[in-house]
Amino acid sequence: MIPRFWLPIVLLTLAMQGVTAQEAENEQATTNQGRLSGNLQLNGNFFMRDSLIGAYDIPQYDRQLFGADSWLNLNYQNWGFDMGLRFDMFNNSNLLNPTGTFTGIGIGRWYVSKKIHKLGITGGYIYDIIGSGIIFRAYEERPLAIDQALYGMKVSYDLTDNWKVKGFTGRQKQQFSTYNSVIRGAAVDGFIGIDSSRVTLAPGFGAVARTLDDGSMNNLVATLNTYRKVDVIEMFPDTLNGEGPSYNTYAFSFYNTLTAGPFVWYMEAAGKTKDVIYDPFGQRTTASGDTVVGRYINKAGSVIYTSLSYAKKGLGLTVEGKRTENFDFRTRPQEEGVRGLMHYIPPMTRVNTYRLLARYAANTQFVGEQAFQVDASYALNRKLTLSANFSNITNLDGDKLYRELFTEVYYKYKRKWTLTTGVQLQDYNLEVYFGKPEAAPAKTITPYFDFMYKFNPKTSIRFESQYMSMSEDHGIKSDYGSWVFGLVEFTLAPHWAITVSDMYNIDPGKESPVDFQTGEKQEIHYPRFDVFYTHKANRFSLSYVKQVEGVVCSGGICRLEPAFSGVKMSVNSTF
Amino acid sequence: MKKYILLFASVLFFLTACEEIPPKVTGSMGGGGGNTPNPVEDQKRQVIIEEFTGVRCVQCPAGAAFIQDLLAIHGEQLIAVSIHAGDFTNPYSGSQYDFRTPEGTQLLSYLDQPFGFPSAVVNRKLFPGQFDLQLGQGDWAGYIASEKEVAPKVRINIEPDFNLGTRKLNADVTLYMDEAIASSDVRLSIMITENNIKDWQITPASSTPQPDYNHRHVLRGMLTAYDGDPVTGTLSAGAEIKKTFSYNLPAGWKEENCEIVAIVSLNGASKEVLQAHQVHLIK
Repeated sequence: MIPRFWLPIVLLTLAMQGVTAQEAENEQATTNQGRLSGNLQLNGNFFMRDSLIGAYDIPQYDRQLFGADSWLNLNYQNWGFDMGLRFDMFNNSNLLNPTGTFTGIGIGRWYVSKKIHKLGITGGYIYDIIGSGIIFRAYEERPLAIDQALYGMKVSYDLTDNWKVKGFTGRQKQQFSTYNSVIRGAAVDGFIGIDSSRVTLAPGFGAVARTLDDGSMNNLVATLNTYRKVDVIEMFPDTLNGEGPSYNTYAFSFYNTLTAGPFVWYMEAAGKTKDVIYDPFGQRTTASGDTVVGRYINKAGSVIYTSLSYAKKGLGLTVEGKRTENFDFRTRPQEEGVRGLMHYIPPMTRVNTYRLLARYAANTQFVGEQAFQVDASYALNRKLTLSANFSNITNLDGDKLYRELFTEVYYKYKRKWTLTTGVQLQDYNLEVYFGKPEAAPAKTITPYFDFMYKFNPKTSIRFESQYMSMSEDHGIKSDYGSWVFGLVEFTLAPHWAITVSDMYNIDPGKESPVDFQTGEKQEIHYPRFDVFYTHKANRFSLSYVKQVEGVVCSGGICRLEPAFSGVKMSVNSTF
Repeated sequence: MKKYILLFASVLFFLTACEEIPPKVTGSMGGGGGNTPNPVEDQKRQVIIEEFTGVRCVQCPAGAAFIQDLLAIHGEQLIAVSIHAGDFTNPYSGSQYDFRTPEGTQLLSYLDQPFGFPSAVVNRKLFPGQFDLQLGQGDWAGYIASEKEVAPKVRINIEPDFNLGTRKLNADVTLYMDEAIASSDVRLSIMITENNIKDWQITPASSTPQPDYNHRHVLRGMLTAYDGDPVTGTLSAGAEIKKTFSYNLPAGWKEENCEIVAIVSLNGASKEVLQAHQVHLIK
């Protein structure tokens, strides 16, 4: 491990020798030479066992009691070079596996980049995207411990002022190591402006290939060799003539953004050659005669995604549509959940922020979904804005997976107070998203309000409340049943903010914890108390949290998170 | 324009290159290993798969069925232990048994927490490219196949003696060292598993649990500590180490369905299993 990082560390150390942040700032100002910048994110969790809500039986609650995650990022620019180093630390962390523990410390990222006339060169851990990310996205999403950086080389070339081409190859990062499959890709991106009109085009074409490593292929073949011959022939019809799983899988994508006055139209069409992927809902009969759910399939994939936006005079309108079929693209097919993903398919639902409104999130279904979304916002005047959003997701057979209707009214009275209120209706397929067999969909109605009152320009108080009414399944409320949530936030700008909130399981459901003495479902409170302190570029927080299990999403990627009970603290700083 | 076409063509060439030769997939060939145990002199490598499961885990029956296929393929060279631990293990109100054991819960902690269920550990080995010991279903078959090819450093013989009247089990376990073991901390674990227990289990077929699901090779208890008892003595090639264990089999465990599983493993940074062996509790 050490030799790999030796060179960049030495380079960066030499480059930064004797240059502190303050010195660099001064030097920058006077000589316009090197510039050192960076940021720190530090999270600490004190775990407090609470068997009632399911916060137990993981090492942090049982014996470790404390866990921390931290990222210290340093960037340095000088002599036409751009270089960076990130120190990552996970101490008894539950971020990577919410029910497990991970400890690892080291260089999480380094890179060196240089532009030589029209040629750009980058080596190290690279973040990049092709189109909207459908065929390739190397990115980081810290709340879910996603770090899909590509460890390798990238070159780019400016063909003209408006046309650029890039190519890259490497392996995907896996915490402080890398996966063994090799990834390569290229893209051409352009911009066409038509002088006489307000119409512009930004077309592009990208292609990515993944070569599976021998170890992963051997494991795949060993697994497929346990399948019945009939299933193998279904996957590889020409198996007698040597057809088998492909080492090399290719994905291609055409995309374009058309801008015409107030209209912006994005479209992307992507295809993927035959690849062995895991279908979590596919059925097969085992060699022993059991029928099981979940199997590998060998199919080509496709995604079509489009988005049309219109914005003018207080009116904003966006219509989006997407169709996905067999487009799970991973560095190795054995990886599950958010691990090993090489790409990112844009979600087709609203990103909700209020606690109860965000409780049921529809994560992308790679094997098959078709979806559309309409989002509208209209400002009647400076005081009043109306918004609505409707999204609908089905599988490829038309079976409903998710539907949401969201409305919002925003009213601002002078600079004294604001009110945001509305209602959300959801229809959420628990069978698909939570894997609950024969569960009726969770149908929720959630009215909400958010009222903020300013005593003076520095002092304000905010009240937030939501009530989620849950539908029934065989005479009992689905999932955790109905909830009520309340929050009070007091802000003393620019330094202090204090919030107190409670999420209360007012009408417990099927999954709510049971009182072992009475056998009754328990109506449990999940309180939270936060203190935030901000001083210039530094932000500190201290929170007591009791949190129910649920789906946590970040940037359109979701995963199931267990309950949390304990104290959280964080420090964020930029310099 | 010509240079763009050339560029485009070179991009495509860079990506597609030449046609590849794929590996051959045959599908299931059926029982390859045979189930008749070899005498200890001819004992082959026996691989252990410790599967973590639970009666409320809807995906776990698929994992259990997959293990049955693997057992059919590898015969006596594969030993399966189903450990009910972690999420999804609370018995249903109609359950006759609580499959959770203190040792199972400790093993879950000892062998890393799964990313999802079902999950399994093969020979307690950290395989190259893997994040931890826990493996998703897609990796079980390959690692079992590769581990099977490694010659055992130690062979294990188990001689059980079960008294039906008192339900007392005595087991003589002998380790035959074929190679010297450099590690200073070698452990011997003895487990008792039970097969064919009919009880409740959630399956993808229904929202209500299946009351007569056939639970196989369930970990019922251990005759040693969860991480094994230290093996003391000389661990040089040719050495023989003999241990005797006693256990009172609780009522309700059907002795005719029980197996004794012995595991010789390392302890410390590596927990790798050097050899495993299994015999019926009643000969």
